[in-house]
Amino acid sequence: MIARALIVLAGFVGAAASAQTYYPPPPSQYPPQPGQYPGMQGPVLAIPVLEADLRQKTGTDTVRFGRDSYVLTSQAQATLTAQAQWLIQRPFVQASIEGHADGRQSRDYAFALGERRAAAVRNYLIASGVPPEQLLTVSWGRERPTTAAAHDATWLQNSRVVLVLKQPQQNYFPQPQPFPAPPPPQPYR
Amino acid sequence: MRFFSSMSLLLAAALMAPVSAHAQSSQIVIAVPQLPTPKNVKTDGGETGVIGIQIAEQIVTDLRTTRAIYPMGPKGLKQYTPTEAGAPLYPNWQNIGAGALVTGYVQGRDDGRITVVCYLYDLKQRREMARAGFAVASTEWRRAAHRCAGSFVKAITKRPSHFDSRIAYVAATGSRTQPVRRLAIMNWDGTDHSYLTQGEVTVTSPRLSPDGQRIAYMSFAGGNPHVRVIDVDGGNDRALLQSTPMSFSPRWSPDGRYVAFSMAADGNTDIYVVNANGGIPQRLTTAPGIDTSPSFSPDGSKIAFESDRSGSQQLYVMDANGSGQRRISFGAGSSSSPVWSPDGELIAFSRWTGASANIGVMSPNGGGEKILTNGWQDEAPSWAPDSEWLAFQRTQQGTGVAGLYTVAVGGGEAKALGTPQPGADPNWSGAAQ
Repeated sequence: MIARALIVLAGFVGAAASAQTYYPPPPSQYPPQPGQYPGMQGPVLAIPVLEADLRQKTGTDTVRFGRDSYVLTSQAQATLTAQAQWLIQRPFVQASIEGHADGRQSRDYAFALGERRAAAVRNYLIASGVPPEQLLTVSWGRERPTTAAAHDATWLQNSRVVLVLKQPQQNYFPQPQPFPAPPPPQPYR
Repeated sequence: MRFFSSMSLLLAAALMAPVSAHAQSSQIVIAVPQLPTPKNVKTDGGETGVIGIQIAEQIVTDLRTTRAIYPMGPKGLKQYTPTEAGAPLYPNWQNIGAGALVTGYVQGRDDGRITVVCYLYDLKQRREMARAGFAVASTEWRRAAHRCAGSFVKAITKRPSHFDSRIAYVAATGSRTQPVRRLAIMNWDGTDHSYLTQGEVTVTSPRLSPDGQRIAYMSFAGGNPHVRVIDVDGGNDRALLQSTPMSFSPRWSPDGRYVAFSMAADGNTDIYVVNANGGIPQRLTTAPGIDTSPSFSPDGSKIAFESDRSGSQQLYVMDANGSGQRRISFGAGSSSSPVWSPDGELIAFSRWTGASANIGVMSPNGGGEKILTNGWQDEAPSWAPDSEWLAFQRTQQGTGVAGLYTVAVGGGEAKALGTPQPGADPNWSGAAQ
């Protein structure tokens, strides 16, 4: 009888111990304090404000490519170097690297080319020190042109990679969890 | 109903061969008198006597889109009784200038539906060539007419017809920079149109399975572009693969058991094949460039695809297990989107020069290249089941508005296929393409 009660007690202690580790200790620099960066509003980020900050600090959120090319020009490299620094300083931001192609190639090839451009940008950012888990890649192919005309002086602007900021994954900022209810006591026999 | 009939007339006109007043010598002339009815009764689809006339007109319209057949009637042809339908009085039809005769009848049924029966007779040898019979809802008499015409074509050319086929495509609305894309499917003549997705996510590249029951397509659902499979009634929508990098460009194998597609990771795109019900994909290409747009040969033994391994996109053919890859296109500019014809004779493709893109065909070994269209941007060809027509997407210069068109492989002007909204990426049922 006493032994059984001890086991139940031990169970409660165990539950309390696991509840203790339920809150992962935040890394030293997280969570950032509200107001520490533009766009920080506690755990929820104001993405448009952050994106405006990115454009202001690094000049642009877009790098452009030549026709059918995925080579990073020196101008693109300068932009990406600045973007990498911006991302390294804001580890709480997740960035989606969105590759695009112009509409004067087959739809399938455009998807592949957009992915190839996004991969080139991703590799450059990682080589510049951005943690890979901060980056996603997506190819839009030719499905999201920026120019309204199908073919004019500006159509090559559709050959681009855009850095789009995302909310970090849900478990990025530890949230207080409700204390788990203790298991119901087992009836004694 | 009125909308559909007027649209289908328009479509039929669009698909008509260049109007020739007389049959060419190689064509079989088929007389199509109006179908009689034993008793004229009112149905939801109209009086059975009227339906008999409309079915004959539809059969003529359908047959006019084939090269091998020249149809005549129903105007100007004598009438006959329903009992004659199964036993024609051959001497009566001897001097009408036709080699074959279509008969049949339309009969109201107690359950509100109608019975449509049709026969094809050889007037010279005085024998039956084909027969078909259907019980259909009275409003769906056009479907019965398509299937009658299809059975006649099959009897004469030994090939499947496109009359009862369907076309899946992407309805393209919204602005150019904020597009809305919906999967849509319709009969080849524009009737029975429905949307399978509602535009909340971008979709591309619908491909009907060989049995016409499923559509493989690419979707941005969840933010990661990937291949999905959906039933043609809109149900059972699922991802083809469990979890992958980006996948796109699906094509069915001719037996419907496999789907070939492209998968892109780290700047490298290769072709894979996977069981249509899921599983572990098998990699077919390993070149460091972009290998995409696979299309099976009708016997399933080979796959045509496009690759930029030589610098620009060109067409290649390989065995279905990935071996024996060889280049087949060497023309000016780049070539993309190879699609093997259902009869195996030709590969359709789009040819991109700096100034324009157009639809062409070549033999599977690369010879006999022929460019069929003359547009600003014509692409994404898809074969009709009879291998005589191609549907494709034409984009207008300046506005960027896309539409569906057809062109005869034998030659002729491209004609617009009417769709309720601008359309892209057509895919014609009836063959693995």
